[in-house]
Amino acid sequence: MFGPLLNGLKITLKHMVTPGVTVKYPYEHRKVAERYRGRHILKVDEEGRELCCACGLCEAVCPSRCITIYGEEDERFEKSNVGKIAGFYQIDYTRCIFCGFCVEACPRGAIEMTQFYELAEPAQKGDDPRAGLLYYKERLMKEPPTLGEEGGAK
Amino acid sequence: MLALVVITIVKLLVLFAFTMTCVAYGTLAERKVCGHIQDRIGPCYCGPRGLLQPLADGLKLFFKEDITPSEVDKPVFILAPVLAVAPPLLAIGVIPFGESITLFGHKIPLVVADVNVAVLYLFAVASFSVYSIVLGGWASNSKYPLLGGLRSAAQMISYELVLGLSIMGVIMLAGSFSLTDIVHAQKHWWFVLTQPLGFLIYIVAATAELNRLPFDLPEAESELVGGYHTEYSSMKFAMFFLGEYANMVVASAVGACLFLGGWNPPFAFLSFIPGIIWFLIKLFFIFFTLLWIRWSWPRLRYDQLMTFSWKYLLPLSLLNIVATAGVMLWMHRI
Repeated sequence: MFGPLLNGLKITLKHMVTPGVTVKYPYEHRKVAERYRGRHILKVDEEGRELCCACGLCEAVCPSRCITIYGEEDERFEKSNVGKIAGFYQIDYTRCIFCGFCVEACPRGAIEMTQFYELAEPAQKGDDPRAGLLYYKERLMKEPPTLGEEGGAK
Repeated sequence: MLALVVITIVKLLVLFAFTMTCVAYGTLAERKVCGHIQDRIGPCYCGPRGLLQPLADGLKLFFKEDITPSEVDKPVFILAPVLAVAPPLLAIGVIPFGESITLFGHKIPLVVADVNVAVLYLFAVASFSVYSIVLGGWASNSKYPLLGGLRSAAQMISYELVLGLSIMGVIMLAGSFSLTDIVHAQKHWWFVLTQPLGFLIYIVAATAELNRLPFDLPEAESELVGGYHTEYSSMKFAMFFLGEYANMVVASAVGACLFLGGWNPPFAFLSFIPGIIWFLIKLFFIFFTLLWIRWSWPRLRYDQLMTFSWKYLLPLSLLNIVATAGVMLWMHRI
């Protein structure tokens, strides 16, 4: 009768002296896996030209249909090295399921996923309160902020 | 005469402040111990390492709405929380915290009232605790509190008997009901060494008396919502918890006095540390054991609780008394 009771006490005491697993979230961030699928980023090449040529493969493969692309001519090869860029590139994060298919579909490695996961946004004034979750090209091309510094609500 | 009055009042104030601080930080200790046992860290945002959490809890409870349900028996409903706090505050007065000290030419014993029947007084006062629970459960006029109150009445009567019998061995060995004399009798051998069974039974029965896990049937959350305090809110609710933790402090202090040698150091060469420090170390050791037990063991079923008390603990404690008496006769100590 006493054996199991004492054993229980031993186990609780052992757990009491081992450090806890708590992460004080808004102040500390847990390190996510290297291949974690967070917010997307649109890449540029070494000369700063956009890699995306608006082929539309990511748009086609996206199971939740959250990507919208309109292509645009770039005749003087100013912004790209193939003469075509995405004039309009939008990811709707109210729909995105972070499956990473877009990354796999892209033939030019133009879209990648980062480790950034603090995507919550305050409701926007105006017609669509979720408008803050529609990410446009300019925002997608920027590196995401450091976790915790500019995360979520602003 | 005047000096005596002043000294007594100062001692009372210090003791009251000490008990209330212990109660406040007892709640924090409980949550911290619970957290660490469950691989969490417990309260940590309020003040450095959560040290101001009791203050925040207290303020919150003060400002909560005090609801008196319309169907309650009002005078009794208000009386019950008062009865929960009063007994432990009365009981702590007879506990010797250390030997006398000399301050400004006065010899001051570190006990408010050195009663020669302190143990009897403690049990008389501790018996009042059950009234707060029974009255609270009855006055609430609601089924869960009533069930909690009734369970508590049966439980506390059963375990009070065992609690009383468990310390008889100590009283026989010390030959006195005075806590000061009992502590003096443990100068060389603590009674936990000569009365190990008595100490175990005391801890078990005290846990049951305090309505704490594994014997917290009166407030079993999963069965009775909250038990006897279901209908209480705000500071009235807090009073029950104040009472519970104050009772824990008293039970720990009594345990330290009766079994762990009170203010006596464990070894003679350690006597340069003041007795009161030793006493507090022992007090908090038992306090921690109570917390530790609570977060380790599951709750007993009600019939198991009763069986355990009447069929196992009671005969065991009687056996302890007979054995102690026999050994004492054999050693010609009577």
